[in-house]
Amino acid sequence: MENNTVISIQNLVKRFPVGGDFFTALKNVDLDLNKGEFTGLVGPSGSGKTTLLNIIGGLDSVSEGTVRVLDQSLDNTSHNERAKLRRKYMGFIFQSYNLLPVYTVFENVELPLILNKIDSDERIKKVNQAIEWVGLTSKRNSKPNMLSGGECQRTAIARALVHQPVLVMADEPTANLDAENSHNIMKILTKLNKELDTSFVFATHDEKIMGYLKRIIRLEDGKIIQDEKIKREDS
Amino acid sequence: MLFKIAFKNLLGAKLRTFLNVFVTSISFFMIIFVSGLYDGMRQHAKQVTIDTEIAGGAYWHPMYDPMDPLLFEDAHSTLPPEIDGLVQEKKAVPVLVSQAAIYPHGRIMPVVMKGIDPNQNIINMPTEVLGKNKNTDIPVLIGKEMASKTKLERGDSFTIRWLDADGTYDADEGTVVHIMDTENFKIDIGQIWVPIKKAQEMLEMKNEVTYVSYAKEEKEVNDLGTWVHRDVDYLIQDIEAAIEADKPGNQIMFAILLCLASIGIFNAQVLSIFRRGKEIGTLMALGMTRSKVVALFTMEGGINAVLASALTVFPFGIILWWTAEYGIPMPIDYSEMGFLMATRLIPVYSMGLIVTTTILVFVIVITVSYLPSRKISKMKPTDALRGKIVS
Repeated sequence: MENNTVISIQNLVKRFPVGGDFFTALKNVDLDLNKGEFTGLVGPSGSGKTTLLNIIGGLDSVSEGTVRVLDQSLDNTSHNERAKLRRKYMGFIFQSYNLLPVYTVFENVELPLILNKIDSDERIKKVNQAIEWVGLTSKRNSKPNMLSGGECQRTAIARALVHQPVLVMADEPTANLDAENSHNIMKILTKLNKELDTSFVFATHDEKIMGYLKRIIRLEDGKIIQDEKIKREDS
Repeated sequence: MLFKIAFKNLLGAKLRTFLNVFVTSISFFMIIFVSGLYDGMRQHAKQVTIDTEIAGGAYWHPMYDPMDPLLFEDAHSTLPPEIDGLVQEKKAVPVLVSQAAIYPHGRIMPVVMKGIDPNQNIINMPTEVLGKNKNTDIPVLIGKEMASKTKLERGDSFTIRWLDADGTYDADEGTVVHIMDTENFKIDIGQIWVPIKKAQEMLEMKNEVTYVSYAKEEKEVNDLGTWVHRDVDYLIQDIEAAIEADKPGNQIMFAILLCLASIGIFNAQVLSIFRRGKEIGTLMALGMTRSKVVALFTMEGGINAVLASALTVFPFGIILWWTAEYGIPMPIDYSEMGFLMATRLIPVYSMGLIVTTTILVFVIVITVSYLPSRKISKMKPTDALRGKIVS
């Protein structure tokens, strides 16, 4: 594995038990992702993109094959080791934001830093900075139920990036947003990808996102059918 | 870190936290209150018996057995000098006990006739009324239950028949001079009280006595003669035995209350935790380990219990204090059923009860927080993130 390889997957197979049988969600997937890449896993519903994202994030286990993320094999790591990997080096952005409803924007964004035991002064500085990146400074004390969908997703982005992870995984981040908000979100993520050199992996079938991706991996029925790198003018 | 998050979670979830804390606190309050009532009821029975019947203890004639009325006719004599000295110093009250029959409204009713010094102040009975009715031949004091059973009212006269020391039956008219309101059915039901001098005259037992009750704090006399000393512990042993016999019942009631409380707390906690599956999934995705998720929710339960304790102190503490101070009026009179129960029940909240209840409620809350969070933390993070219901 090269030094700048963030994700390395070989012969990945994932099966789910369905009734008395198994459904194969991913079939012999091979994939390498490098640092700073802005990659989309694209495909219709049921193609396996969210499953692949969850496996990369250590949220799900593999049935066969090897998965190395940030130079650590996920095949034989414990729950705690995977949790540590996520806590220190990964960020997650979910379709339905998954903000904690009783926390304010500030507190939601602060959470990964608390889990990483960052001291209070440093936390405040980093949270303010992350909130500023996503343009929510005026809403820092609002709770999620007082925010629009776009603002919620921007909070989730700030939460995913506040500890400056190496890898951010976004599962349909614009699925619940209108076109304008979707573009705003993608512009923010593109900017942060460039500034922080963070790798992004999206699971999406939203056409609006496609124009921002620098690499598109198409999945169909659990298989990679196309892996295309795109040269963008701004990159 | 976990405490900070747990505290933040509880503060943030205002209504949910309040409801959880409130349910726990109500359970806390109910266990202490009902158990306190029960303890108060038993302590009251003991105290009333001491105040109205036993005082500091008694000296009995050697033949006297309150459970064997057939021995009453032999259980009387003059007092040994030292005990008589106590009576003369008004530190003890003599009582002469005999069997009798009364005929209220033409019906016959066997009773225990007790002669007592009207001027005594050793036991809490309104005996002074027996000395105020000089025109009445045999002034009689009865309790309200006795009055109710015999349908006698104040001023009513009725025939009393007794067997005197010579073995001769005699009879005369007694007049109810007072109906006492007492919670101690043992000095009420089946008993008539007359002045001791009158009783001695009727029974031809001049200066003879069956037992003597002496004042509280009074020391035991040295020379009892053939008489027998009975201390408070001996005299309340029937109540103690009843309390002891009632202990399993009390413990079962405590357990039932605790179970009911547990169900309430369990319901609130489980609902709260299982509804937060997505939140748990999010915390796991952010890198929280399973053990920390369990610890977080268990800690929330612990803080919940602390807050519930605080809520039990205020405002429920005020209710507990008020009931302990002023008591609770009982809707019906239980004395007819043979219970020695106050018309106003004063609960007793012992330190043991409060500490035991606090420890048990804490254990319950922490357990019912730990078990569901342990179960939910075993879910795959992906299922938790989807908010999948755990079975």
